[in-house]
Amino acid sequence: MSQSYNRGLIEDFGRWKEFSAGMWAWIFHKFTGWMLIGYLFTHIAVLSSAIAAADGQTMMLAGEQVDAYTGTLQGLESLFIVRVLEVGLLAVAVFHILNGVRLLMVDLGVGLTAQDKSFYASLVLTGVITVASVPTFMAGVGL
Amino acid sequence: MAERYSSFTPGGTAWFLQRVTAAFLIVVLAFHFFLLHFVNHASEITFAGTQARMEDVGYFLTMVLFLIAGAFHGVNGVYNALVNQGLSGTPKKVVLAVLVIAAGLLIVQGVWVALVMRGMI
Amino acid sequence: MSTQQQEPESQESPQDPEMKGTESPQQRRLKEKQEGMVDEHAEDEAEAAGETVHIKVFRYDPEVADKQEPRFDDFHVPFEKGMTVLDAVMYARDEFDSSLTFRHSCRQAVCGSDAFFVNGSQMLGCKTQLSELEQPVRIEPLPHQEVVKDLVVDMDHFYDQMHAVEPYFQDEETPDASDLEEQRQTPENREKIKMSSRCIWCGACMSSCNIAAGDNEYLGPAAINKAYKFAMDDRESEEIKEHRLRILEQEHGVWRCQTQFSCTEVCPKDIPLTEHIQELKREAVKKNLKFW
Repeated sequence: MSQSYNRGLIEDFGRWKEFSAGMWAWIFHKFTGWMLIGYLFTHIAVLSSAIAAADGQTMMLAGEQVDAYTGTLQGLESLFIVRVLEVGLLAVAVFHILNGVRLLMVDLGVGLTAQDKSFYASLVLTGVITVASVPTFMAGVGL
Repeated sequence: MAERYSSFTPGGTAWFLQRVTAAFLIVVLAFHFFLLHFVNHASEITFAGTQARMEDVGYFLTMVLFLIAGAFHGVNGVYNALVNQGLSGTPKKVVLAVLVIAAGLLIVQGVWVALVMRGMI
Repeated sequence: MSTQQQEPESQESPQDPEMKGTESPQQRRLKEKQEGMVDEHAEDEAEAAGETVHIKVFRYDPEVADKQEPRFDDFHVPFEKGMTVLDAVMYARDEFDSSLTFRHSCRQAVCGSDAFFVNGSQMLGCKTQLSELEQPVRIEPLPHQEVVKDLVVDMDHFYDQMHAVEPYFQDEETPDASDLEEQRQTPENREKIKMSSRCIWCGACMSSCNIAAGDNEYLGPAAINKAYKFAMDDRESEEIKEHRLRILEQEHGVWRCQTQFSCTEVCPKDIPLTEHIQELKREAVKKNLKFW
């Protein structure tokens, strides 16, 4: 064969409308996974303000002198955008957990024929839990 | 091609540990979210409150284990995602080294912070 | 979905292109297109009435100047009850363009040579009813394999992976000459490997697998299923089963499967590929746990 044609990543991106449930589950799981590991690094960085706090460093928060840890965390929590991001983080984590349970079941060979239904179920449940959590997550913060 | 055999399993142990950490993380992550958003509201967290929680040995150990399991699960997940994309050769080794170092630093920093919160350093 | 518009193929000239001397079917078709001979309106009506089926077929041929850049050709094939995708492309080849190239042989889902990418999914041409497909029916070669010509893809890599798992029965212990009867298998064990033995090497699963597309070394669903057939066969000894698991538990073996179920969904023989791969993962983990 002298020549052949490589169609590249046909199907992978251009045909997303034709993806099946299992494919979407994988894409979402990977995407949420990337976000969670990214968040874990940020989370530890923010919590590292405890080191400064233990050293006795303080900062101003809403006209009060507080320790660095309390000031950093409460300062972030007073920002509307941080609260919105936290709701997003919850949605991401809940989906990753629920789909993770689904994947563990698949690994154990349980309910393989219902794998598409269990994916839809984890999507719906994620939505319900996220919406139900919004009041708690947004409590006491204004725009 | 799949003709190279090796005496130990490159993927098997990691695959198994990924599932074990997953099962652990499911429980602890749910607990973590519940405790720090619903029982204690995130906006009301203070250094004193954190120190009080960390006083409990069980909680402290759970959080350290949570961090180690999370770091492994996350970094191994990232590595696998890249291998699935066909990462191989030297770039693969470099990526693995970078990820191991990053996870190591994350764990060291996290444990240090946890010890500070517990007042042990 | 591609909305690429091309002049439909004319059906008014059933004359064999070979009879027209030096003019190749390529040139003839091009000329017809340029002349715009086709009454598109009449064809739409025929399609609406269910008399013809509109298929769009992927064309590529490195040896023909006009086809070096891949394109889709339209054919309007007279519809008959029970017509399959393979029937349609065969009609198009026999009646409209004899240069249309694809593999096919038995026409009854046994030889496994006519797996195509039909309307965005891997299917066996001879097993897919046209009446179940949305029109126009887009027929392409299997994705993630190099296209050699039209619907023909290079299967070498697929066969390499299949052979890598040693897809043949192995038994070190030669039975005594006195009892050289059949090597019996229990009905239960036969039942266990029954589905895995249905593979016809069509390559649809491998083509649908997102991981096999990215990681060229991944054994792929078909090869792993083939290994399952033998690893689960009780007639092979434990050592051979372990040998098989050693091949499968390499980094690019079973662990790469991400349980997307793409292979299971496209398999024309309904083999539960994902289930088999998962079972082998568990077998491999169990085997290694024993050593700890």
